[in-house]
Amino acid sequence: MVLNLFTRQFGHCSPISSVMIEVRELTKTYSDLRRGQFVAVDGISFHAQPGEIFGLLGPNGAGKTTVLRVLSTILCPTAGRVRVNGFDVLTQPDLVRYQIGFVSANTAVYDRMTAWELVEYFGRLYGVETNTLRERMENLFCKLQMDEIRDLLGAKMSTGMKQKVSIARALIHDPPVVIFDEATSGLDVLVARALLDTIGELREQGKCVIFSTHIMREVERLCDRIAIMYRGHILSEGTLHELLESHQQSDFEELFFRLISEHDQQHAAAGIST
Amino acid sequence: MKWTNVKLIFTREVRDQLRDRRTLFTIAILPLFLYPLLGMLVFQVMQFTREYPVRIWIVGSEHLPQQPRLIEGTQFSAGLFNYPKDNELLEVVLADPDSDAAGSEERHLEAKRAVQSADFDAVIIFPPSFSEQLERFRKQLGDSRLPIQNEAVGEIPNPRIIYDQTRDESRVAKERLATVLHNWRENVGREYLKQNNISEIVAKPFVAEETDVASEEQRRAAVWSKLLPFVILIWALTGAFYPAIDLCAGEKERGTLETLLSSPARRGEIVWGKLLTIMLFSSATALLNLVSMSVTATLMMGQLEQLEQTFPELPMGLPPLVSLVWLVVALIPVSALFSALSLALATFARSAKEGQYYLMPLLLVTMPLIVLPVLPSVQLELGTSLIPVTGLMLLLKSLMESDYQLALVHVVPVIGMTSICCLFAIRWAIDQFNNESVLFRESERVEPGVWLRHLVRNRGETPSISAALLCATFLLILRFFANFQFSTPESWSDLATVTVISQIAFFAAPALIMAFILTRNPRATLLFRVPHWLTLPAAFLLAVLMHPTAMTISAQLQELYPAPEQLQVMVQKLIEDAPNIWALLFVLALTPAICEEFAFRGFILSGLRHLGHPSWAILLTSLLFGVAHGIIQQSIAASIVGCVIGYLAVQSGSILTCILFHLTHNSLAILSQILMEDFLAFLPAAKWAVQSIEGGYSYSWSFVTASLALAVLILVWFSRLPHQLYAEEKLQEAIDNQTVRAVAK
Ligand SMILES: Nc1ncnc2c1ncn2[C@@H]1O[C@H](COP(=O)(O)OP(=O)(O)OP(=O)(O)O)[C@@H](O)[C@H]1O
Ligand SMILES: [Mg+2]
Repeated sequence: MVLNLFTRQFGHCSPISSVMIEVRELTKTYSDLRRGQFVAVDGISFHAQPGEIFGLLGPNGAGKTTVLRVLSTILCPTAGRVRVNGFDVLTQPDLVRYQIGFVSANTAVYDRMTAWELVEYFGRLYGVETNTLRERMENLFCKLQMDEIRDLLGAKMSTGMKQKVSIARALIHDPPVVIFDEATSGLDVLVARALLDTIGELREQGKCVIFSTHIMREVERLCDRIAIMYRGHILSEGTLHELLESHQQSDFEELFFRLISEHDQQHAAAGIST
Repeated sequence: MKWTNVKLIFTREVRDQLRDRRTLFTIAILPLFLYPLLGMLVFQVMQFTREYPVRIWIVGSEHLPQQPRLIEGTQFSAGLFNYPKDNELLEVVLADPDSDAAGSEERHLEAKRAVQSADFDAVIIFPPSFSEQLERFRKQLGDSRLPIQNEAVGEIPNPRIIYDQTRDESRVAKERLATVLHNWRENVGREYLKQNNISEIVAKPFVAEETDVASEEQRRAAVWSKLLPFVILIWALTGAFYPAIDLCAGEKERGTLETLLSSPARRGEIVWGKLLTIMLFSSATALLNLVSMSVTATLMMGQLEQLEQTFPELPMGLPPLVSLVWLVVALIPVSALFSALSLALATFARSAKEGQYYLMPLLLVTMPLIVLPVLPSVQLELGTSLIPVTGLMLLLKSLMESDYQLALVHVVPVIGMTSICCLFAIRWAIDQFNNESVLFRESERVEPGVWLRHLVRNRGETPSISAALLCATFLLILRFFANFQFSTPESWSDLATVTVISQIAFFAAPALIMAFILTRNPRATLLFRVPHWLTLPAAFLLAVLMHPTAMTISAQLQELYPAPEQLQVMVQKLIEDAPNIWALLFVLALTPAICEEFAFRGFILSGLRHLGHPSWAILLTSLLFGVAHGIIQQSIAASIVGCVIGYLAVQSGSILTCILFHLTHNSLAILSQILMEDFLAFLPAAKWAVQSIEGGYSYSWSFVTASLALAVLILVWFSRLPHQLYAEEKLQEAIDNQTVRAVAK
């Protein structure tokens, strides 16, 4: 309850409300038996505002999931500073978790719980008042067209249904930040399109959305600003227009490949020179 | 920690488990059917031994005497059975009288073949001269003028029973034959006595009568108090393990862990919620088994009355109600301990399958602790009460036997030890939940070489937790084997050599080597820094002030666990052999102070401080320090002293302070032993504080209390010192403070 009050207070009168997410010089290393200290994210910085969809675009293994896991306090940053709505992920993880809703390919739903029970459970964990919770659940279930799977057990849901439940779960506490990690993977065109529409609506509601994917079309359609990630680095960042402009490209896909091959060449050169 | 969240998680997990068919099977269905099935099986076996008809071949029945009769018609005489009904279960076949008197060898072989081919279940052979020899013996007896001479009578040849030990029917047949034969032999003897007009009493002039002071209820309690705790323990463990696997490893496997971790539930809340769930299922399993067992036993009790006739000393009947109540009460700490252990192991496992593999090691560790209290010589005392599971079981046993006084004395150590173990296991589980490499472990191939290289290549400034535990395990194993290697010292120089060598080889050297190989900053690891200069006199003073308390504690321990007198005398003599006091102090105070401090407060404590909680690190190090001392009297005292030195290490950040304290502490113990008499003679005024007693001296309580109070003041001074925290410790502090700071902001 106490924490809930804070969320409300800080959500509006936080002194840095113009920046919802602030990542500065974030580095994350995994200690790996074979590779030693493996740097998955190498000193990246970016920030995102409320009412904005920020896209993280990168090929497999770029480090997107790692960044988003740090943002959602599942992993701790090795170095650098990450703040969500003014709260530090390292020292104030509990408060950060109230600020975000996290949907990822790795956040599954419980097999032995119905959709309704699951959303209710997480709502309670977030400390949402019973009346508000009911109201929000009815709204969400209606909006996401989940009424027919209300009493279906997780084990019996299709991928699309599970994804809907996850989204309802992530939105139940009305967080200022929503994070989607590869949210459309495994969804058919229709469901994916509906999902993208939902995300668009979240922007309308003034939420800050972080969206990671390796599908360029989604980024082009949806994102206000884009960061292209590769091997733990952000190669370029800006609005779609800015990106195309600064690299004198007309085609986004072309731009993407250009940036990546440039990076590879630089690395190869550095590797030889040392 | 928000208990509403714990409750939420708890209710969810319980519902989740109840929807799982496998869980329901193990906790509810299995016990419901297990005991009736087992009971039926036992019953079948008993029925079998009792009711199964067996075939018996009697060879040489023509050599039997006329009186008293063994065989009547084609059956044994009716009077020879304990239960007349049994006669019908022996199907007797008489062999043809051998006319041509075939050799006894041949008959023997024939009989063997008959048993082997299962034509008969047992064969009894009476040798040819059997009745004649008996008759001659009888005659001799009657001729009372002659003294009886065995040689004159000649040996009475023995009948022989042939059977097959590996066949149940054959064994049963042999048992019955033996009974019949035994009764018949008694009859023969009685007959002789009667002929000579001697009373039967001669054979049994008197019988010892027995009085059992235990009441019937007590005897029942005694039997059940051995059996039921065992049953409860096994089921509490099983009932904890499988849900734990599903709750932790299963959650990882199904990918819902990340969902839960991104929710506002704190790791501690998640662990507590899961722990309570596991506890519920653990105790439910144990309880259901208990109930099912009792119901089955009650139902079978009527049938078992027959058994009671056979074994009248075995008290039949249900356990007394009080013992059942105690069982249920004891279930709480038992299931808490096992649940916490299973939870920690299950969190470590990557998948449910990997989790299953951990059951065996867990059983291997707990089994001896479960079996130990059942052994006849193991009693409840301070030492055994401090052994994790064993103490609890012994306490339960004495409660069930209504030995409340014994139980009351040991309640505190038993519950204390159990709580410490629980807390450690819970802490471990929470740390696992905070440990990224455990939560997101990828399947790695097991390659010790790669792992060792990884340990060395990715070593940090100070040792990792696993390196510290590795070091501790290594030291303990070395020490264990060294105990067998070194013979007991026989002279002072022996003692000195053994002590110095083992201190250096088993404590200092491994710690130093590991510090150089497994860390990048051996100086920081071994706390090789100059401390604030005031900490040195403070440490010295602290050791002096704590000396009376330390002595009092070891005197108390000595009383509880007297060391063998021989050993004491021997050590005393060796010490008297020492050339001078300096040699004594060098070997028994300085060397251990340096070597043990490098190992424990140096390497091990530095590694364990990565836990993020200095107090946990200190406590764990001290326990290891205690265990390394090997003998229980020393272990307990060493653990306590270890806590103090550990605190000095954290607060002063220097090994020098620790060594000085340790040195002073050991030296005072030695010096007071030697010089106290002279001292008292020199300063009789000190009598209010120290009294000579037999074999030593003791400090007065007022003196102990006063010095301890001053010692606490010094510790308070230490707590005010600026000291360095590890990054993990700072982070933990920050996390613990986050809500408070958010308010302040
Ligand atoms: N637990 C871990 N231990 C060791 N290395 C890891 C671990 N998790 C991820 N990595 C490594 O970190 C790098 C980045 O992984 P990450 O999952 O962040 O990439 P991604 O951009 O999300 O890729 P994808 O598009 O495939 O999801 C990869 O090279 C991966 O091998
Ligand atoms: Mg990913």
